[in-house]
Amino acid sequence: MNLIDEGSAIERCKKGDREAFAPIVQKYMKPAYYVALGYVGNPEDALDLSQDAFVNAFRHIKRFDSSKSFFPWFYSILKNLCMNHLNRLRRRREDSIDEMAEEEGQVPIPIEAVGPEDRVVQKDLEVKIGQALQRLRPKDREIIILQHFQDYSYQEIANLLGIPMGTVMSRLYSARQALRRELERMGVSY
Amino acid sequence: MGYVDRELTELEVLRMEEHLRECDSCSAELEGFRRLKEVTQNMRVLMPDDKYWEIYWSNIYNRLERRIGWILLSLGSILLTSYGLYYVIARLLLQGDIPLAVRIGVVALVVGLCTLVISVLRERIFFSKSDKYERIKR
Repeated sequence: MNLIDEGSAIERCKKGDREAFAPIVQKYMKPAYYVALGYVGNPEDALDLSQDAFVNAFRHIKRFDSSKSFFPWFYSILKNLCMNHLNRLRRRREDSIDEMAEEEGQVPIPIEAVGPEDRVVQKDLEVKIGQALQRLRPKDREIIILQHFQDYSYQEIANLLGIPMGTVMSRLYSARQALRRELERMGVSY
Repeated sequence: MGYVDRELTELEVLRMEEHLRECDSCSAELEGFRRLKEVTQNMRVLMPDDKYWEIYWSNIYNRLERRIGWILLSLGSILLTSYGLYYVIARLLLQGDIPLAVRIGVVALVVGLCTLVISVLRERIFFSKSDKYERIKR
């Protein structure tokens, strides 16, 4: 779906055509999931939050300039939902004496090896990398997931997040440094 | 970063390689990033099962549809409740054998309830974005 098709679909959405929103959702549902997973670190929450973001986006679609790309605008909605979710979790952890609440959201991000190396790469390395990812800041985790694990190019990431290429590179640099430091701290050799 | 991810132009690659020949610290750092990339390049974040993606759009569609239902339900409930209350109170107030204290009490109850509802709604709508307890450390 190119920008023109996307624009015309959004114009139909602005007139209340819910069906016109379907191709936009189909196009962006997986990137939305990856971004949400980067922020909240929990697959179930990421799935729910990404859907919440699409619902909110449709409700406020009249505010969107359909001559521009949809995802950067949608990304701000998704990011706000994710940050609100993280703030709620943090408040619950601060208030609760329950250890389960303390550990909520600390489950390693599920990683799997694909390709011929999956016989060689130890299962616990995947878990350790998932744990290290979980401990990164949301911004670092987000860009690592998009570039490292899902192979988005710098241009694709720049388009998705609505940031310049230079910013993509600098964020990736600091995110990789953070991941390396975390893996070293955990004593993971690779 | 672009060098590790093969995102540089040929000219940029040449410049980078020239720099790396002269700078040990950059070479060492680059090697670290390369190792990290090698380890993770054949890993993927586990995706939810296909069934979740198949119903993804229908979940969103149903929620959009339900919102209209809830709005109509809420409007209908408010209208019917308001009319019912008005009818009961009007009949009550017009009856001559009801003591004055009871009538005043009913009016005060209704006015007080409406005031509370409006106040809470106003707070939720206009002030819900800022948490006044945010700065208080727990």
